[in-house]
Amino acid sequence: MGTAIQTWQLSKTYRSRAALAPMDLIVPDDVVFGYLGPNGAGKTTTIRLFAGLLRPTGGRAAVGGFDVVREREQAQRQIGYLPGDFTAYPRLTAAAYLEHLGHLRGGPDRARTRSLADRLDLDLGVRIGAMSHGTRQKVGIVQAFMHSPALLVLDEPTAGLDPLVQREFLTLVREAREQGRTVFLSSHNLYEVEAVADMVGILVRGRLALVEAVEKLKAQAVRRIDLTFVGSPPDAMLHRIPAVRDVTVVGRTAHLVVEGHTTQLLNAASPYGIEQIVTHEPDLEDVFLSYFDTRE
Amino acid sequence: MRSVLIKALYDQRRALIGWGVGLTLMVLLETALWPSIGRMPELGQFLDSYPEAMRKLFNMEEFGTGTGFVNAELFSALVPVLFLTYAIGRGARAIAGEEEAGTLDVLLVTPVTTTGLLLQQTGALLAGLLILGAVLYAAIVLGSLLFGLGIGLVPLLSATVATVLLAWEFGCLALAVGAVTGRRPVAIGVGAAAAVAGYLLYVAGKLVQAIDPWQSLSPFEQAMSGGPIGAGFRPAYLLMPAVALLFVAAAMPRFARRDIAVAH
Repeated sequence: MGTAIQTWQLSKTYRSRAALAPMDLIVPDDVVFGYLGPNGAGKTTTIRLFAGLLRPTGGRAAVGGFDVVREREQAQRQIGYLPGDFTAYPRLTAAAYLEHLGHLRGGPDRARTRSLADRLDLDLGVRIGAMSHGTRQKVGIVQAFMHSPALLVLDEPTAGLDPLVQREFLTLVREAREQGRTVFLSSHNLYEVEAVADMVGILVRGRLALVEAVEKLKAQAVRRIDLTFVGSPPDAMLHRIPAVRDVTVVGRTAHLVVEGHTTQLLNAASPYGIEQIVTHEPDLEDVFLSYFDTRE
Repeated sequence: MRSVLIKALYDQRRALIGWGVGLTLMVLLETALWPSIGRMPELGQFLDSYPEAMRKLFNMEEFGTGTGFVNAELFSALVPVLFLTYAIGRGARAIAGEEEAGTLDVLLVTPVTTTGLLLQQTGALLAGLLILGAVLYAAIVLGSLLFGLGIGLVPLLSATVATVLLAWEFGCLALAVGAVTGRRPVAIGVGAAAAVAGYLLYVAGKLVQAIDPWQSLSPFEQAMSGGPIGAGFRPAYLLMPAVALLFVAAAMPRFARRDIAVAH
């Protein structure tokens, strides 16, 4: 498996303000990488470095194997890029704008453009200046996907989209990965990243605090499990299991807080006769928040 | 629209139509005055009553002929100002305007390079000015025929070319400054300030002996001296496109290396 994006001590300073601390990152091919962080953490700076629109202050970055400074043109050809605050020529219709970009990229694929527009419920005949923010964002998504680039670099792609369109967008992202493309998307929306990403990177005030597979993060995460027993719950036994952090018994139900794997817990509890198990899926929010808490 | 150049021309279409109509009306109004002025019996005396500086500045000595009249009335101020305004405005908008609007981001992440973009915008600026020049030429020919100014087609052509090149030079300066700074107001400011400075140098050279040797540095002197109608194709005309391309070339390395600003 190759690497879609790699950085070596990549950093960016504006005048005297450090926007991105030296960062080493590897994004493998064929993954969806969620780049998380609060606003102002440096997500857009990182993405604009990848897009070749900013020059690194230190270190370097390669996109699709091409250095973003020395081989900028080749690197840019690899990517479909959606800027954070996407704007297009207000006087053009979406169709004319997309056609223009298609020509600049070596010939428009009209069938693909139309199919993407249909899926996002975008009317191509409308002038971009007359569109709402959310509709304009759809134009931005179509232009990023329409030439089927090997790597999609998307800065806050779902900003302004209504929930139905968001869902369709996430489907597009999954399809892209299935077709062997890599998607690097920034977001401050955890649920969106959780729904689609294989890996996440968490950026806190210009520093890459964590890079991890989503599954692994979830496995490490603290989750809540409710076990309802046929008799009264074996309270003392439950307390002895290392993974169990907390037990609250209400009637025949034990409300547990569990960290990591649940195998040992279930093995130990099953002889007591379990009537019902309710697990509350962990979400990244806990992980996410813990990163900010510890660093405050 | 298959290229940035074609799109840039397409973007100019409304402006070109508006400016073209305005330019034509202005030329026809001015030339319509010629029959009454040309027939004035005491024209010479009347002109003598003007201060010498003004007569020099506006080539009033030549006022007695249709060619001299158009040189003085149109080419000494109005036409260059209109062409320069158009060129500087367009030049500043071409890159700095796109950057401020935020549309430059996606444009640069295509096979279009920074250098290619600069060159295409330079070409689009020239193409737009050539269209305006053609309108100016046609309007003066029409006015000359209607009101009997008797202006030669070839001398008028060289004067039109000189005007277009003059505007292109300052338009390219604004384009280059916009590419280097990413700021449209700065590009307009530098372009306009340079144009005013060039004009002052030209005027001062006409009036003040000591400045005379420096006058030839002014693009206005290069374009307007000796007419411009009737000066013929002067070698000095070549300086204007040369300097224009020099401005653009000087902007290339910086534009290729600098950060592109986020829209604001």
